[in-house]
Amino acid sequence: LKRCQISMDMHHIEKSFHRIKNTIQMKDVFQNVTILSASETLYNITPSDVCCMTKDVLGLYVDKVFRNHEESDPRIQRGLSTIANSFLHIRNALEQCKNQRNCDCQKEATEKFQIIVGNYEQMEVKAAAIKALGELDILLSWISRNYRPKATT
Amino acid sequence: APCVSSGLPKPINVTFSSVNMKNVLQWNSPEGLRGTDVVYTVQYLIYGQKRWLNKSECRNINRTSCDLSYDTYDHEEQYYGRVKAIWGKHCSKWAETERFNPWLETQIGPPVVALTPGEKSISVVLTAPEKWKRNAENNSVSMHQIYPTLKYNVSIYNTKTNKKWYKFVTNHTLEFPQLESDTLYCIRVQAYVPGPRRKAKPSDNQCITTLKDQTSELKVK
Repeated sequence: LKRCQISMDMHHIEKSFHRIKNTIQMKDVFQNVTILSASETLYNITPSDVCCMTKDVLGLYVDKVFRNHEESDPRIQRGLSTIANSFLHIRNALEQCKNQRNCDCQKEATEKFQIIVGNYEQMEVKAAAIKALGELDILLSWISRNYRPKATT
Repeated sequence: APCVSSGLPKPINVTFSSVNMKNVLQWNSPEGLRGTDVVYTVQYLIYGQKRWLNKSECRNINRTSCDLSYDTYDHEEQYYGRVKAIWGKHCSKWAETERFNPWLETQIGPPVVALTPGEKSISVVLTAPEKWKRNAENNSVSMHQIYPTLKYNVSIYNTKTNKKWYKFVTNHTLEFPQLESDTLYCIRVQAYVPGPRRKAKPSDNQCITTLKDQTSELKVK
């Protein structure tokens, strides 16, 4: 997000998810299916495509995942609300970046995002939402890696 | 011949124990079968892939752990491990771990700590721990490369005054100035990554004596 500077407290989001990770992931009974499928989509995204991919994936979560999930446990609900609000804030900021032509989507990133959407829509709505929520650690790790200075060896 | 899945109790507390991405599956014997000649068989699943995979080195073993580091080497993937108990012709159902994310859950081991004493100072050089290697000839991958935000919590303890204080640093070299000469100090270092509570193992205490004060030595002569 080098050209598109967004302030986000990743630790706060990571900690919110860390508290509910195991409970959410245990509700996902489809162990041999994945939506974000790290190796096919998120990983080896070029730096210039990171902004667009972040905006699109956060959009998927804000517009579909959080809406399609009904949660009865208040502790889980609190955690998910914290994450949803953070994603909404980041996505809206990235939309503004897009309007200023700083967050353009190239063909490869668009294709990879379509794989993610395809994976999501192949599943039944509620099962897909639960799986996507259980994969928040994949998304958060990817965002963490892409918005931190590279290590000097 | 395959065992018969009967009412044999499952292994319990099946978890991954991970330090610097050395990922070991461990469990406890099922209730009521401790001390008997029960054996275990292990499988693992790469999250999102179709089939559970056998770990041949952990088929019919009598220990309660199995090193899956080789099989879970890609720390950007997530994994499940499972184990079942076998006793004669009978076997239990599988007992599974929660989804294991090495990048999030591995424990950061202690750095290598090199100390150099001065008269009233101690210089500290830290070398980040290395990721577990598939074989010795492979190039080392520093945990600092995997976690660019890796930091160090360095504590120093004056054995004469029992006074202890800390420094939180990101770079690999630091100095403790304004110390007492000819005094034994003990230093301990813990590497950690900000964010979700990743456990971290502190280094052992390393103690060193600062040099004698040369000026007072001259007066004595």
